Amino acid sequence: MTRACHNKSRKTKTMKRSLVILFCALASLSAQAQNIFISKSASISFFASTPAEDVEAKSDKANSVIDTKTRNLIFKVSNTSFEFPKKLMQEHFNENYMESDKYPVSTFKGKITDAVDLTKDGTYNVTIDGSLDIHGVVKNYQTKATLVVSKGTINAKTEFKVKVADHQIKIPTIVFAKIAQVVDVHISAVYQPK
Amino acid sequence: MKRLLPAAKYKCLSLFILLLAALQSFGQEDLEKELGNTAPKHEKVRATFKSTKLINGHTNETISRNELDFRIDHRFGDIGGDNGGIRRFFGLDNATDVRIGFEYGLSDRLSVGFARAKGATEVQQLYEGNLKFRLLEQTTDDYIPVAITLFGSTTVTGVKAAEDPASAIAYRNFSDRLNFVTQVIFARKFNSNFSFTLTPSYVHRNFTAFRDQNDLLAVSAGGRAKITRRMALIADYTVPFRNGDDKDYLKQLSGVKYRNTLGAGLEIETGGHVFSLNFTNATAIEEMQYIPQTTSDWFKGQFRWGFSISRRFSFNKKNKDTEKK
Repeated sequence: MTRACHNKSRKTKTMKRSLVILFCALASLSAQAQNIFISKSASISFFASTPAEDVEAKSDKANSVIDTKTRNLIFKVSNTSFEFPKKLMQEHFNENYMESDKYPVSTFKGKITDAVDLTKDGTYNVTIDGSLDIHGVVKNYQTKATLVVSKGTINAKTEFKVKVADHQIKIPTIVFAKIAQVVDVHISAVYQPK
Repeated sequence: MKRLLPAAKYKCLSLFILLLAALQSFGQEDLEKELGNTAPKHEKVRATFKSTKLINGHTNETISRNELDFRIDHRFGDIGGDNGGIRRFFGLDNATDVRIGFEYGLSDRLSVGFARAKGATEVQQLYEGNLKFRLLEQTTDDYIPVAITLFGSTTVTGVKAAEDPASAIAYRNFSDRLNFVTQVIFARKFNSNFSFTLTPSYVHRNFTAFRDQNDLLAVSAGGRAKITRRMALIADYTVPFRNGDDKDYLKQLSGVKYRNTLGAGLEIETGGHVFSLNFTNATAIEEMQYIPQTTSDWFKGQFRWGFSISRRFSFNKKNKDTEKK
């Protein structure tokens, strides 16, 4: 009985020590990760005007990360997270055009080409260069973006045009009039330090 | 430190390594790791079927909130047999049943419907009200492997009551005209090209012909297999479980033999319409009628051409849905 007690206390001590070390490690990790900014609910919307009707959809569930040191960034959105006012359109978007079961995620990987210091507050108009993967087809894009750094958060806004045909999204002739060939994409994200 | 157990030492070491690793700068791949797993959890399977009905039977699909589905089902006369052939232009001269129905989504899971059907037997002028509720929705990660939808309908018959007390329409009061259908629809989308549904049904008719059954259980199975992006083969089959004695009596009395219903067809989807071109031995369209009252036989040429057109309208204001979130 006493022996068991002794063992127990020794174990607790060891555990305490490990915990302290773990906290130190975590603290240093978070200190290290100051250059990583994450947005878990970035919003992305697209709009296309056609003679028949306007097509628009929005997702508030995009994920993005910026490394302020290397100025690399990644933006990811699940295709099924786009909400359309017309649910039938949403169904067609996923099933017929994006083929979301095969290509569930659209991804942009890029780099801020201007040498800006995102640790300092201010408004930066930058150029982002990178590759956009939609519908399994990767294409290079360059776009202007506005970054507003204030009180430790980064607000980002950008817009660009995507040509549907560039990503081999097939549109049958029967609905040709309904779907535009060029889609305006708007993105806005608020990044918090990790 | 010397009091630490070997296991703890090992832990310290691995933490130290972790610390060192954390000091490394982040490349694109590491940056992606920082983002973590972004895949949505337990995502719902969409579009198990393209329409709320296959041929005769219901699918698990309901109409989304603030959307309206307008549906016309049509069944022509027998292609072959005594009532078919060239003199009846292979059934096109007759319409055994026509149903015009509306379904409206009260929420994304509950829809309410109203329909008027001609009615295929002497029980005619049918007015149907129904509710359809998605109880469970299949998820892509198989956290929920099957979808379950509940369907309930009440059908009122408008036909003039008959004098003959043995007739199926010898109604004496309003409640005799009521019919009820309850279904539990199980469905699974196995992959993007194939979906299957299994449906036990309970049909209650307040009034029937003499020795016909008021209560009837049945089970249906149906499937949809895509052949191109916009076309699919569809089929469904229904087996009613009739009481043997009553079945024999009715067969002896009037030579009526009840059949299982089989429907097979082609479903074509365009932007906002779903068309189905099909063949079935069921003359009726309403559940309360085709499940218990199908007597025509595929093998005697007593099947017919049928079609359905479904058109979806949306009353969702532009971006109202998306901006609220």
